[in-house]
Amino acid sequence: MIRKVCIRNYRRFRKFDIELQPGINVLVGCNGSGKSTLIEAIDLALTGRVHGRFLAQGVSPYLINLEATRDYFQQLRESGASNPQPPKMIIDVFLDDEDAEILRGTNNLDNEDACGVRIQAQLSGEFHTEYQNFLKSPGSTVLAPTEYYNVEWLGFSGNPVNARSVPTSTTVIDPTMIRLQAGVDYHLQQILTRCLDPKERVELSRQYRGVREEFSERESVKAINKRLSDEDGTLTDRKLSLAIDISQRYAWESGLAAHLDDLPLHLAGQGDQNALKTLLAIGQRADGAEIVLIEEPENHLSFSYLRKLIKSIEDRCASKQLIVATHSTFVLNKLGLQSLLLLSENGATRIVDLPPDTVDYFKKLSGFDTLRLVLSKGAILVEGPSDELVVQRGYLDAKGRLPIDDGIDVISVGLSHKRFLELAIRLKRRVWVVTDNDGKTVQEKEVQFAEYLLHDCVSLHTGKDPKFNTLEPQIVEVNSVATLNEVLGTSCGSKEELCKVMHDDKTAAALAIFTSEKSIKMPEYIQDVFKG
Amino acid sequence: MFLKADNTVILAAAGSRKTESIVEAALAVTSGRVLITTFTSENQRQIVNRIEQKVGALPPHISVCGWFSLLIQQCSKPYQRALTTEPLVISGLNFKGKRNRHTPKSSIHYFLDANGAMYRDGVSDFVVQLNKATRGAVVRRLERVYTHIFIDEVQDLVGYDLDVLDLLISSSIRLVMVGDPRQHTFSTNIGPRNKKYQGIGLADWFQNRSAICTIEQRNYSYRSNQAICDFADAIYPDFQRTASIDVPLTGHDGVFQVEAGSVSAYVAKHGPVTALRYDKDAWTADLRAMNIGVAKGSTFDRVLIFPTVPMLKYIEDGEHAALKSPEKLYVAVTRARFSAAFVVPKFLPPAQLSLFSGSGNSPRLIRS
Repeated sequence: MIRKVCIRNYRRFRKFDIELQPGINVLVGCNGSGKSTLIEAIDLALTGRVHGRFLAQGVSPYLINLEATRDYFQQLRESGASNPQPPKMIIDVFLDDEDAEILRGTNNLDNEDACGVRIQAQLSGEFHTEYQNFLKSPGSTVLAPTEYYNVEWLGFSGNPVNARSVPTSTTVIDPTMIRLQAGVDYHLQQILTRCLDPKERVELSRQYRGVREEFSERESVKAINKRLSDEDGTLTDRKLSLAIDISQRYAWESGLAAHLDDLPLHLAGQGDQNALKTLLAIGQRADGAEIVLIEEPENHLSFSYLRKLIKSIEDRCASKQLIVATHSTFVLNKLGLQSLLLLSENGATRIVDLPPDTVDYFKKLSGFDTLRLVLSKGAILVEGPSDELVVQRGYLDAKGRLPIDDGIDVISVGLSHKRFLELAIRLKRRVWVVTDNDGKTVQEKEVQFAEYLLHDCVSLHTGKDPKFNTLEPQIVEVNSVATLNEVLGTSCGSKEELCKVMHDDKTAAALAIFTSEKSIKMPEYIQDVFKG
Repeated sequence: MFLKADNTVILAAAGSRKTESIVEAALAVTSGRVLITTFTSENQRQIVNRIEQKVGALPPHISVCGWFSLLIQQCSKPYQRALTTEPLVISGLNFKGKRNRHTPKSSIHYFLDANGAMYRDGVSDFVVQLNKATRGAVVRRLERVYTHIFIDEVQDLVGYDLDVLDLLISSSIRLVMVGDPRQHTFSTNIGPRNKKYQGIGLADWFQNRSAICTIEQRNYSYRSNQAICDFADAIYPDFQRTASIDVPLTGHDGVFQVEAGSVSAYVAKHGPVTALRYDKDAWTADLRAMNIGVAKGSTFDRVLIFPTVPMLKYIEDGEHAALKSPEKLYVAVTRARFSAAFVVPKFLPPAQLSLFSGSGNSPRLIRS
């Protein structure tokens, strides 16, 4: 399994270190936080390939961190004499695996005695003269001079490795992967090849060859080939004939097409294709240390399909290490919040010690939007949709913009405050808990949340007067009957009447408040939320 | 964590199937990770060939590599930065070059040339220093990677190689070494360290370690007939005598002399024979010949040896002191199964043949 990954100057990562755990790792992060890049980097270090091509065949300058490249050119132009080195790209993958001992050594970024693999690209000594010429007139180049780079794929032992000497087998499942050709596409081909054992592969190959030989023995094919060879001498003296090509190493791979319910796979829906690829990959035989990297399994899948897929992933990946990038709260909750890794520019945050009952709670009630809390700068936790609307309007009135514009999310959590707080305190996320007092005093409510209020990032907001047990009477209390009648479009004669109307259809009332041109006065405890 | 393991050294005569026994012992290890190492690439090739002949292909748990590959790839590179500071500095082996005489050992250039290649003479020295600097990490890594290490032609190891052997002997790795001190024709390096244990001195080195390393003697030859064994034994009178086992008679058996003028007649009569020479400068009567050093490890039915002047002198008067490189003579004679013939300027008188007096079946230098 992969224990740690250290990246220097690869794509968006100038310096990035992340520790992974055995079993499932769920990568979450905003767009552009590097989830896909991380998966790509791990795959590159373990297979030597990026986008299906060996890195050693050529390094695209776009693979080198642009910021580092910019610094290099700046140094070059400012102080030509000091001879700055163009950025060196390194990906170190630390492995914990008995079969990996031959890769043990300290040739890694952390100078750690560990097993692992490195792929690196740097200026090559072989191109010294060419590079010196380039230095004389770098012109207006802004991309790293990767044509002078060489690529080395090494164990931490300092010795070169190849695809066979890396003991882990890696499978990347990327729903966005382009299909290269009809039939068994390259991506599926790789997955299939790993899925079949060597005997099965040989048998397929043999049978395919047999079919080919039969084909050329058929009378009608023979007749055609005879006619072709009889057209003598026009182009060549040699005999021309038609046959099925079996020259490739595994001819069946390009000749056979995967079918789903008798429909060629490439004609099946994207969703089916992805689900199948995922299932094939995670259903591989269990020999060796296996690592499965999955990019956004939720893509193209309906909710019910996703449920099935996640179930299979859970069932089949017990012995594998799984690294999943996702934007789906459902995927995150289902695979377990304890596996969460939040990516940001310089590294990753992991939640440690999340109570198992909280993990289970979100697995069962996986509709809760935990990911919104994870990805937000801060969150206002409210009990229901009506509170959500009212709080948003209050924020807009107080600050002139909606909370989401400040990266603050308003989340309806029902009565699951505490579950969300378990998560929030571990993420050190600023959280405002807005809750009904349910006829209790503020002190009594504070006792209820005491363990979370110890953390600076948590504050509790609840109505001071126990007489007004929910939001509606609190609003009625601080606004005039006339104002509320105008906002709600009602003609109530008393505060009691208003309370009843609002209570009977909370959401309608909240929506009216949210959309009204006229602002209402927010209860003090809600106003407190916007002050912080 | 690891227990110290048994170690064995087999000191064996030429033709006692040393390499064969290593290959068989290695194949007998079914659970574990086995390394077979030896100095020359020719011998590595032989080992791989024999394994392939026996089981079709090299089994995945067995690897074969050269002694320098073991020292550089599996010992020096992994923890190099304990001495080089920077990672990935060591590039390979500099077999021919020599360090500047004035470079102090504290400098990394004592061990590495400007391209990061290791000077041949410093490789095992470096490994010993590195293991010390990493408090044993080098050996611990080997213990994790290999359960068994087999070393063929152990007599080629000299100098600090022996210190590396000491590290391996006291590790948890099961170490099996095979060699013949009489056939010390190559050295992995040259240096003053452990000089007295080179060649036949290696037997003493193992004797000093008999408490932690079992010594086995194999004083028999499946290859050469008794006459040849006796001639070879006479070169090293301090070693135990060798018994020939099951070598058939052919009608032309033993050690012979051939006058320079009748080489082609001899070849015509007894050919095919394999011609052996000291080096490429030797006169070989226009026959295609093989260097004695290269022939080590090989078996031929009949050999024709073009001796050096000291060899001739030894044959003439039995004076051991005259022999500058007895190992070459020993190797040359023991290549043959049935006959070994020396090309001489003129026949030696029969009186001098007493030199080859041995037990019962007395070997004789016979006119062709």
